[in-house]
Amino acid sequence: MPKLTLNGKEIEVPAGSTIIEAYKQLDEPIAHYCWHPGLSIAGVCRLCVVEIEGNPRLQIACNTQIQEGMVVNNNSEKVKTAVKWGLDFHLINHPLDCPICDQAGECELQNQYMEFGKYDPEMAEPKVKKRKVVDLGERVVLDTERCILCSRCVRFTNEVSKTNELGIFNRGDRSEVGTFEDKPLNNKYSVNTVDICPVGALTSKDFRFKQRVWYLKNKPSICTGCSTGCNVNVYYNEEGVFRVKPHYNKEVNGYWMCDEGRDIYKHINRKSRMLRGRYKQNGVWCTTQALEVAKKAGQKLSSFKGEEIAVLVTGQYTNEELNSLVDYSVNKLGSKSVFHWKNNENNWQDFDGHLIRGDKNPNTKGLQGVLQKYAVGGEWKELENQLSKFKAVVVAGPENQSVYFDIKEKIESLKSLECVVWFTAGENSNFEKLSDNSYLIPQKTSVEKNGHFTNHQGLTQKVEEVTTILPEALNLEETVSLMLGNSLDLSIRDKQEMGVLKTNYFSQERGSL
Amino acid sequence: MFKLSDEGVAYVKKELERYETKRSAIIPCLYRVQSENGGWVSPESINYLSELMDLPVAWINEVFHFYTMFNKEPVGKLHVQVCNNITCCMLGARELTEHISKTFEMGIDELSKDGKITLSKVECLGSCDTAPMMQINDSYHENLTPESAVKIIKDMVHGN
Repeated sequence: MPKLTLNGKEIEVPAGSTIIEAYKQLDEPIAHYCWHPGLSIAGVCRLCVVEIEGNPRLQIACNTQIQEGMVVNNNSEKVKTAVKWGLDFHLINHPLDCPICDQAGECELQNQYMEFGKYDPEMAEPKVKKRKVVDLGERVVLDTERCILCSRCVRFTNEVSKTNELGIFNRGDRSEVGTFEDKPLNNKYSVNTVDICPVGALTSKDFRFKQRVWYLKNKPSICTGCSTGCNVNVYYNEEGVFRVKPHYNKEVNGYWMCDEGRDIYKHINRKSRMLRGRYKQNGVWCTTQALEVAKKAGQKLSSFKGEEIAVLVTGQYTNEELNSLVDYSVNKLGSKSVFHWKNNENNWQDFDGHLIRGDKNPNTKGLQGVLQKYAVGGEWKELENQLSKFKAVVVAGPENQSVYFDIKEKIESLKSLECVVWFTAGENSNFEKLSDNSYLIPQKTSVEKNGHFTNHQGLTQKVEEVTTILPEALNLEETVSLMLGNSLDLSIRDKQEMGVLKTNYFSQERGSL
Repeated sequence: MFKLSDEGVAYVKKELERYETKRSAIIPCLYRVQSENGGWVSPESINYLSELMDLPVAWINEVFHFYTMFNKEPVGKLHVQVCNNITCCMLGARELTEHISKTFEMGIDELSKDGKITLSKVECLGSCDTAPMMQINDSYHENLTPESAVKIIKDMVHGN
């Protein structure tokens, strides 16, 4: 392993790495736009220049390999001047419309300018005008004027998504990034280009103008969109969750995540949630607190014999929750009839070769493990065939109902039973069809609880509580405990109720995008 | 719908095997498309070429937009390209361009009224020793005066 000195600090790096990687390893600041650890090296922004002792000219750190005993710095006057002028060239045709730009606050160009710039531009010529608000399909909007031609997005479509839609057309100061004839950028990973765009050239249609980024906090979590279990950062504030971005994990998702996974926040927010617990008695739905419904459901269930009760589980809960539910079923209710509800049997095994899997549950492996542990488990078909045998059913329903296309059919077929206890995070109008003695208990979503998910490769990953959207919602462990007749320390009640997601009406008035 | 002739397709196939990467063959193939498409490259023909070469359409479009030798709009039968680089300009290329534009009543990069001629200003064509000069389609015309240039164009329009 070669040793070198960076800014006066000695460091040992793996052979073959570049200077910029050494800077990253040392966590020293180094300016860069075009370099991205997940992409090939382009060397076009010329901002990561460093001074190497014994070398008369400055070199770019991203494309210079480390050699034994190198002495490198990026804090000399010479480097600072070079970075300043590099920045000045980037700003020649950049509109500097930060106040109305959605990237402001997380823009690398803006950060760079605040750190190294803060001077009046010395360019006397008028700026080149380019196309703005170009609609690039379902998820991405392009502003070619703000683009600094770092080519990250182009390399992403060439190397990662391998769809090759983007290119840099024209040349010189007329160069523009874009797709051929403005064809939509509808690949399944398109929003990653928005994430890696260092400026506001590519913005997400879903997120733009919804919230200023400095009003958002973020915490790591796990994507519940499929069994890959991508590591994500959840961006939220007191109004709810606004977006989900990938978080680096070499073993699971690298630097990327799919577009579908970015939509998971939609079923987490209040708008699609079941806000209060409900139960049906004498043909009337009564609304009350979740914990009251859980207690009532527990009492009702205890009036059945073990063999009269079936449990239907989805892989959308944490290992701890599933364990407590199956334990409750086997040891407390005395029912060994636990069935696994899969989102879609036909494409269950699908895999697109990169990240997206047909199994749309974050914890299928974990569920299988729990079922194995208690030596129970069966398929939905088995339950359907012997449905008349049962009088009551407990359903741990999906948190993400949008991937369970058969939820309506399931409700239809289960409503004939005497008693249905349904745990759900999301609201669904079909619940109204359930008959008497039905109990609906609002559950927490993945961002509101602590636990572990086991992904398709058997890797167990921790999820931590990010925020509280519904203080009233329970997790499965709490629900089971309440159903057993225990009382619960509900200190969560003290948590402040979330505000309702505000609509930014001005964003509607700006036009179609 | 644009299609290359059989010889054109054979040419493209040959070029594709000539270089280490298929991408290198884009320029000669685009030239072929331009000459078979009446002097310009249309978006449909880029799509067609992308299918024929089995390359992403964006890659071909990048090359197409980078080089000015590929015409983005339809051009007349005569594409008059007057060199406007430093040597030619010192010897009157700007005045020459203006004279041609006035005589045939057409602007820069526009078709003449009869649709036969397109006039463009271009960068150095590497013929500084015989400045000012112009290129009409594939031939060079050198040591021009406004009068001789107009005469050459008129002769060519009338088919000489």
